[in-house]
Amino acid sequence: MTQLRFYGDPPPGIADESLPGRLVVVEGTDGVGRSTQIALLKEWLEASGYAVLNTGLRRSSLAGRGIERAKLGHTLDPITLNLFYATDFCDRMEHVIIPGLRAGMVVLTDRYVFSIIARAVVRGVNQRWIEDVFGFALVPDIIFYLDIDVDHLLPRVLSSTGFDYWESGQDFLRGHDLFKNFIRYQSRLLPQFQRLAEKHDFNVIDARRGVLDIFADLQSGISDIVAGMMDEEPSIAVQEDDELLPMAEIPALPASNTPMK
Amino acid sequence: MGLRRNDRFPGRLFIVEGIDGSGKSTQLDLLHKWLVSLGYLVVFSEWNSSPIVKSTTSRGKKRHSLTPMTFSLIHAADFASRTNAQIIPALEAGAIVLADRYAYTAFARDAVRGVSRDWLRHLYSFAVKPHIAFYFDVPLDESLRRILTGRPELKYYEAGLDLALSDDPYESFRLFQGKIHDEYDQIVREFNLVRIDATENLIRQQQVVREIVAPHLNGLMRDGNGGLQTALQEANLKGRYLSQGAQRGGATG
Repeated sequence: MTQLRFYGDPPPGIADESLPGRLVVVEGTDGVGRSTQIALLKEWLEASGYAVLNTGLRRSSLAGRGIERAKLGHTLDPITLNLFYATDFCDRMEHVIIPGLRAGMVVLTDRYVFSIIARAVVRGVNQRWIEDVFGFALVPDIIFYLDIDVDHLLPRVLSSTGFDYWESGQDFLRGHDLFKNFIRYQSRLLPQFQRLAEKHDFNVIDARRGVLDIFADLQSGISDIVAGMMDEEPSIAVQEDDELLPMAEIPALPASNTPMK
Repeated sequence: MGLRRNDRFPGRLFIVEGIDGSGKSTQLDLLHKWLVSLGYLVVFSEWNSSPIVKSTTSRGKKRHSLTPMTFSLIHAADFASRTNAQIIPALEAGAIVLADRYAYTAFARDAVRGVSRDWLRHLYSFAVKPHIAFYFDVPLDESLRRILTGRPELKYYEAGLDLALSDDPYESFRLFQGKIHDEYDQIVREFNLVRIDATENLIRQQQVVREIVAPHLNGLMRDGNGGLQTALQEANLKGRYLSQGAQRGGATG
């Protein structure tokens, strides 16, 4: 059972309850290999018999498209962008994550509020403000942090998607040199992740190693978290005054409905 | 937690607040016309109008998928966008900014929806504190009479139907407005809003508003060219091909 806990004031209308699912967060900077690991985890968990739900930034039906559209323009300030992300996160939390936990699923999320906070602080947004705004976020059962340094990150980024405009801080750093800005940006971003890792007790995984080494660490961390899920009784709410009929009182089927032999 | 200081800006920010049917928009419109007629540069900022956020808000409203939290956050995003793209640049340039509804609307509405008051004040701490914030005070029954006469169609969130106070939209609207009215009472005290008696006749109300605004206009930037209408007259042209928008912006406000 996962007791619903929040970093600050809980959102209105969310009861103080215990849910049968588990919330697993995978955090880490751009290109560190989060999506590969999440794909492997989902396959492994499903093969082991757990129902898995995936979610990640910008995937809400409410605000996902709006963020994509806004990022194409040129009038987006960091406060607006972060409130857009907060809307997206909140919509997924209330409409996807919590219902998934209630249904008894393992909810795997690719990035959580920490990526948003780290990126905002690097862009000059007041740290206390952004952390307070995300006070409505649910405290996960476990937060894995794929820890890497810029030297090890570079080859991964080059061999996959290449340097991205936002992930190189091109929106606020000077100059047009994407490579230099990538280094500058990631060198500021990683210390923010470190700060959050200490503050929120992340499960830090050395992501400089190979895919399977990282995967093995994630597996062992998750095994502890999901242990016992299979044995827990489903929490079906039964009102005390709404007692179930004893079996004997259920009327027998009329004879005519008995299937013909 | 207060709003951001306004004393570093040469411009002035005047805003109006009040429940639906308080007549605040009418009064702001009259103030707008007066300021333009005096030659001041006036920028008008409307609640829920940011071009980059608007479509997301309408998506949520259309599908009834907004919860109290996402309702609050998306309106804050709209407000942030207008603050940074419209309000602050105009204040820095020395213009007058008029806003119909401000952060206080969110403080009242979202608190009624159960959102934490402290969290809301912190959320909106990026907002510039207005030089004058008017609160158009009207008894609940009077505002309901003004709005509900003719039984207009009430929208889902406008009527507070998401709060499940009542299945009947009119009854829900009444209860919702009543709660907002109570919330405003506290906000008016907390933020020292200037209370205007919105049951008085319209002309008298506008006189009071102008008397309060006048001392704040000293040294503000004025448009020396007298606007588009004057230019047209001087050139002996009718401006036949000018769009309606350009004409409005030029002279009449």
